[in-house]
Amino acid sequence: MYRYTDFDRHFVRARAAQFRDQLGRNLAGELGDDEFRPLRLQNGWYVQRHAPMLRVAVPYGELSSAQLRQLAVIARTHDRGYGHFTTRQNLQFNWIPLTQAADVMDLLADVDMHGIQTSGNCIRNITSDALAGIAPDEIVDTRPYCEILRQWSTLHPEFAFLPRKFKIAVSGASEDRAATLWHDIGLHLLKDETGHVGFKVFVGGGMGRTPVIASLINAFVPWQQILVFIEAIVRVYNRFGRRDNAYKARIKILVKAEGPKFFDAVNAEFAAILHRDTDGAAQLITQAELDRVAASFPLPASIAQEPAGRADDAAADAPLAYRRWLERNVHAHRLPGYRAVTLSLKRAGQAPGDATDLQMERAAEIAERFSQAELRVTHDQNLLLPWVRQSELFALWQAARAASFATPNIGLITDMIACPGGDFCALANARSLPLAEQITERFADLAEQHDIGDIDLHISGCINSCGHHHSGHIGVLGVDKDGAEWYQLTLGGSDGSSASGASVPGKVIGPSFAADEIADAIEAVIVTYRRDRTEGERFIDSVRRLGTAPFRAATDGVRLATAASPA
Amino acid sequence: MSQRPTASPMKFIDFHHDRWHAAIGEDGPMPTPDPCANRLLSLEQWHAVREHWPLDLRAGVSLPNDVDVETLAPDLPRLALITLHFPKWVDGRAYSQARVLRSRLHFRGEVRATGEVLVDMLPLLQRTGFDAVQLRADQRIESAQRALGFFAGHYQGDVLDAQPHFSRGTA
Repeated sequence: MYRYTDFDRHFVRARAAQFRDQLGRNLAGELGDDEFRPLRLQNGWYVQRHAPMLRVAVPYGELSSAQLRQLAVIARTHDRGYGHFTTRQNLQFNWIPLTQAADVMDLLADVDMHGIQTSGNCIRNITSDALAGIAPDEIVDTRPYCEILRQWSTLHPEFAFLPRKFKIAVSGASEDRAATLWHDIGLHLLKDETGHVGFKVFVGGGMGRTPVIASLINAFVPWQQILVFIEAIVRVYNRFGRRDNAYKARIKILVKAEGPKFFDAVNAEFAAILHRDTDGAAQLITQAELDRVAASFPLPASIAQEPAGRADDAAADAPLAYRRWLERNVHAHRLPGYRAVTLSLKRAGQAPGDATDLQMERAAEIAERFSQAELRVTHDQNLLLPWVRQSELFALWQAARAASFATPNIGLITDMIACPGGDFCALANARSLPLAEQITERFADLAEQHDIGDIDLHISGCINSCGHHHSGHIGVLGVDKDGAEWYQLTLGGSDGSSASGASVPGKVIGPSFAADEIADAIEAVIVTYRRDRTEGERFIDSVRRLGTAPFRAATDGVRLATAASPA
Repeated sequence: MSQRPTASPMKFIDFHHDRWHAAIGEDGPMPTPDPCANRLLSLEQWHAVREHWPLDLRAGVSLPNDVDVETLAPDLPRLALITLHFPKWVDGRAYSQARVLRSRLHFRGEVRATGEVLVDMLPLLQRTGFDAVQLRADQRIESAQRALGFFAGHYQGDVLDAQPHFSRGTA
């Protein structure tokens, strides 16, 4: 993990002190609520339905066990004993009174954490591949570059008040596990034919009301120049992005509206920074800086010194649950004898991505015992252990099972992505969690889940798309009609992973479903798939082959209140 | 930890005692103001008079935040003041204008923030090249000065210090 320097520590402390000053002026009445709002947002404080929400940054998903323990302390002493891991690899608290906000920021700073730029119209937390540095298909380790980007974007003075939020995701493997093309900027680290490292840069992706897949703007930006190229993009966006309508303010709208003119403007700005600005050359990343940051991500010492022991694959007489867990929750590793293991945060009785204070502590303990005290937060709202010896898998499985993390469902229907929805979020049109719970209950039978196989079910409580419904093989979007909760169903979306195919938003099938119909509709989709699939065909491939018609017919068959609705 | 070069102190403009004055007549802005010292002209006014304006009389120009500052490049040696406008404080376009004026066009006169200028904007204003602010009437100068003091250093290069933290040679 990146090791904070004294400078980094002082910086986070200074940010906490600055926030305390702003909060104090707000509580004293000197700084009005409307003007405090953008300031608290840029520190992660977002007032929602019941109480403020705090979104804590987990930069590119890397989390130490010490940090997770501190999050548990905050959950226990300032919140109601739990937190929620998000698709952008962050953690959210839901119930911390604003008057305690500054104290919580100090507690975070104690473990090199903060909420900087986790909300607001600024450059947000950089996300990346949860398998960075350990994936067998990795071309370039993204972590040093993500850290350099994190530092560059942190309190960038020119880009704190953009037209709208701005999200950057980085992938460095042949498989895109970071949904990069759904981001404002998607970066693919790669090597050219001479072995030089650079970035393939995509711009203008996003979800929300207008789902757009990012366009390629530059096939190879040398790594030394990437900060300059991103600065050029963001400056053009800051100047020309729409500010008259929040729904049209994301960069995707500008890219679509301007087309090649946008690309020309970025390239001209890039050239101007490099060749005309007094400080252009100073922004090139130096080899010394890359080396300094990269040195923070060494192979853990004990791994480097001691090759892993024997493989411990499931013996024929191993429990079925263990074999299923090996199949779903254990992933290949670039080091022989090692595996990456997902701790599932999708289980009955808890919201997807939620963990209690005790569970956080158990996960920290497990990470200390089995994974060099390191964890990753994954894009699909689970925790991942990056350094597990293959020989310790069975012991890990037992520990994970005792701590409720061993549901063997990664990539299956109950491993769904869901936003907190209307139970918590003031923006939501509908609740997500009761539907998630119904799905978890309906598909509780693991044999059935394994038979259904790989499937991305994504649930958003509103069009802001925090639950990534556009990219789900099955997407569910909460909509509001006359004050009631309704759910729109989409099929065939993709996050851009090779298993799911090129990034694309799903297609809506039929009018929205009532709250008491939507779980039946999802079940009807699954029944149709199991009936019509060919041997070994995965869900997404069946949807592509069959089109939406048979699914539409099946889901129309379960309508009750909406049976008479026009198509 | 590294210390940044000392910034020149931020100038707080008291609107009632400002030596710069807009060229406004009884019927609104004068279309072609006569040359005189400390005239703060709109971009339209400047375009109307720039051909005749004495070369040794440095003027001030107010820019809306959607103007490309490059269009003023040939005129910059003749300007002593450029005001950049924040119609709303969360509209951040003028930060980019200031940055380009300083880093690319090497403007050395005063760059002043006007409009909805709040104390918590001060660190951003200073780092993007503003050296004067006209705070909104209800803002306290003491709070603005305190807002400038929280950080001993930043990660990126900026107008005060072109070197990013990583090039300053201290960890």
